[in-house]
Amino acid sequence: MNRRDYLLRKILFAALTLLVVITLNFFLFRVLPGDPVRSVVGRNVRISPETQATLRAQFGLDKPIFPDQFFATIGQWARGNLGISWSLRQPVSEVLIAKLGNTLLLLMLGQLLAIILGVSLGLFAGWKRRTAIDVGALAFSLVAWAMPTFWLGIILLAAGSSWFGLPTGGIVDPRNIGKPLLEVLPDLARHLTLPTLTLTILYLGEYMLIMRSSVLEVLGEDYILTAKAKGLSNWQVLRKHALKNAMLPIVTLIAINLGFTVSGAIYIETVFSYDGLGKLFQTALTKQDLPLLQGAFLLLAVSVIIANMLADILYTYLDPRIRAT
Amino acid sequence: MSNRRLSVYLLVLLSLILAACTGGTATTAPEGASAPQPETTTAPESESATEPEAAPPSEPSVLRIGWLGKPDTLNPAYAFLTESYVIFDLVYGTLTTESIEGQYIGNLASEWSHSEDGLVWTFNLRDGVKWHDGSDFTADQMAWAINAVMNDPDGWAALSNYVSGFSEVKAVDPQTLQITLEAPIGNMDYRLSFLFAVYPKDFESFSTPEDLQNFSNDAIIGTGAFKMNTFDKDKGVLILDANPDFYLGAPKVDQLIFQTFDNADAMVQALKVGDVDMVNEVPSSAFETVKGFEDVKAVQQPGRYFAEMIINSVPDDHDPVPTRNPALKDPQVRLALATAMNKQDLVQIVLQDLGSPGTTLVPPTLGGGFWHNPIQDISFNLDQADQILEDAGYVMGSDGVRSKGDVRLEFRLQFPSDNPLYPRAADLLTDWYSQVGIKTTPESVDPDSLVAATTPTGDYDLVLWGWGPDPDPDFILSVMTSDQFVDGGWSDSGYMNPEYDQLYLDQQVAVDRDERQRIIWQMQEMVFNDRPYIILWYEDILQAYRTDRFTGFKESTLGIEISLSLTQVEPVK
Repeated sequence: MNRRDYLLRKILFAALTLLVVITLNFFLFRVLPGDPVRSVVGRNVRISPETQATLRAQFGLDKPIFPDQFFATIGQWARGNLGISWSLRQPVSEVLIAKLGNTLLLLMLGQLLAIILGVSLGLFAGWKRRTAIDVGALAFSLVAWAMPTFWLGIILLAAGSSWFGLPTGGIVDPRNIGKPLLEVLPDLARHLTLPTLTLTILYLGEYMLIMRSSVLEVLGEDYILTAKAKGLSNWQVLRKHALKNAMLPIVTLIAINLGFTVSGAIYIETVFSYDGLGKLFQTALTKQDLPLLQGAFLLLAVSVIIANMLADILYTYLDPRIRAT
Repeated sequence: MSNRRLSVYLLVLLSLILAACTGGTATTAPEGASAPQPETTTAPESESATEPEAAPPSEPSVLRIGWLGKPDTLNPAYAFLTESYVIFDLVYGTLTTESIEGQYIGNLASEWSHSEDGLVWTFNLRDGVKWHDGSDFTADQMAWAINAVMNDPDGWAALSNYVSGFSEVKAVDPQTLQITLEAPIGNMDYRLSFLFAVYPKDFESFSTPEDLQNFSNDAIIGTGAFKMNTFDKDKGVLILDANPDFYLGAPKVDQLIFQTFDNADAMVQALKVGDVDMVNEVPSSAFETVKGFEDVKAVQQPGRYFAEMIINSVPDDHDPVPTRNPALKDPQVRLALATAMNKQDLVQIVLQDLGSPGTTLVPPTLGGGFWHNPIQDISFNLDQADQILEDAGYVMGSDGVRSKGDVRLEFRLQFPSDNPLYPRAADLLTDWYSQVGIKTTPESVDPDSLVAATTPTGDYDLVLWGWGPDPDPDFILSVMTSDQFVDGGWSDSGYMNPEYDQLYLDQQVAVDRDERQRIIWQMQEMVFNDRPYIILWYEDILQAYRTDRFTGFKESTLGIEISLSLTQVEPVK
């Protein structure tokens, strides 16, 4: 099979997956117990049964789920319209885009730091096995990995705001809203410090542990012995022979974690009142805001499917074994 | 090999970060068809927005308020959350308003009167009221605002209930408004306190209910003590500036900043370190801690929320037929359930003393003074409860559960899973009841499923739940009327009493306050004696503010964030 056919097949398969996911989600959300109208208006005292009925009709909930509601939704999406959120009364696509940037900023920053620090620490600990450094790093990583997100966030928030005067929530100071990005950059950095630190500590442990064990495994291989026998310095052995092979499991881990990135970090976003996608998903679910919920899951599905597709395509370039099939 | 793959992954990573920095245009969902709205809306600046004085001697004073929610919208046609109404109270005007003492006083109206038959109400408007854009406020505009709700009740979903029974609203002259009713309305002053004077120009152009409801009204213009500066819903920030021309006197602070916290502990910490100057909702678990903060005053005031135990009262001939233990129909069993309940302990243990024992359906704090204080609550007495059941013919079985014939005193005790207080209350109740031969099985249920199980299915025995009633007793009284036990209605007990229903209608048309109070007291007695609900407790509201920054907060059951309080707040000198 040539590459063009392979790609076409992959794209077709991705489109089919998306269609299945959309259909599944549509029905899944409608199986949820409860009444979306009640959820949107809350246990609000002022809404009469008649007004609820009017809203229900407006949302299209008075019609049968299939085929009326289903085809109305699909038709709307086909025209590139995700609809309007019932609880926010804003176009779903706008809401999603507004939050996506924030979430990616926080999570990428945290992931990047966690990867750099975790991998370095793991490499070092593995190399200096059974020294005080190794034991210390190992203990730290195990503790960091095991810590509950919410708890760590609160502790860092209390310490950071009391001792270093760091902000207790939000993305920028309220008085800086609407100012140009360049002007608020220092303020943004201050607001990002604690959530990023929390995220970094939480992921760092995982990367460190995987890296350390991977390094230990690789260091026991014959080719390391050979390299040492050739007279290479410790550093050369580590860099040219051990590191590259030890990185393989880490690369897998990074890929998996990146896949989860778009879904946001509900706990961290909640602790630091950070306006991101994770928090939005939660709100959409508790409010049973179906257009928002469907839009959010569409975004998630598209991201994961595209990431997978890209990976598939990249593999044809990277891995000779895949090319052969 | 691995090197190449790694660099590809790093490249992907980098591109994603870049995408994040450029606002995430790389991974966008399909764009909606409607026109994009600006993220942040700034109200038109008619005059000096930030500096009310020509030459302020010092920096503008900014009161920062932390809260756990945010307005769902600033459009009163479709606003459902309390937070929206907090902002409306500060920005909009209404003909009447509830005073700190719980009585209704004039706001945009200086005085009002009604005809002998209660059908024609005449309001004299206050002099010199101006909109935030500087133009004069007239009776015509007030009439337009009320007429808008009457003409499009579907669009004005959140306010349409307040105008039911209005037949005509018109301006007699620029200072006088006249409202004609189909039948007398007992709580007119309360209803008018929710009919906001919206700026007609902002609301004139909508042709369908959807158009109206999709309008965000972020540049809200009103006549209130504060005017809109910025509302960024995504970031949870709302900034209001003082209105120097406010008809009751300019506020003493220059700016209010409302900041939303998604996490209560973070908000409490923000108060501690001075990131915010006040919070309008302290979680009960943190209240003791907040009391200990330096330069912080913790405010505890009786509130309007109450919790109740619902006893299934659905009539046997109802369709669908209720599913419950038939013993619950026995008034003596209900009396025993009430007698074996220690409300003092519930308040002390479950609420940690942040509340008071409950008696009647209408909490003492509701506006207008309709609480029925002479009602004597049943005192807690396990021996007496035991005796009541014994006398009623329920025989103690070998397993410690009483029964009469084949009816065992064994009940489901359900509660919604989203409230941390109910499980402890259910445990305490189960313990007391077990001592008198009643077996209750506590069960946490998803709130939506509980709604479905109660109304109108009637498939439950006992349920613990709560209400946050309206300021006027009308709503909470309606919860006990027969016609509310329908799909989408508010009755969960299934209580049906024609006499009560008639009294409910009577109080609606009782224009004389004393007459209305007499009826409402009678209704409270009925509910108390028939026990579709046993009211467990009334919850306090818990707030706090920094005493080193601001002073002058008016502490009341309405909260320190109302306009009547915030207009009096001034910086500490």
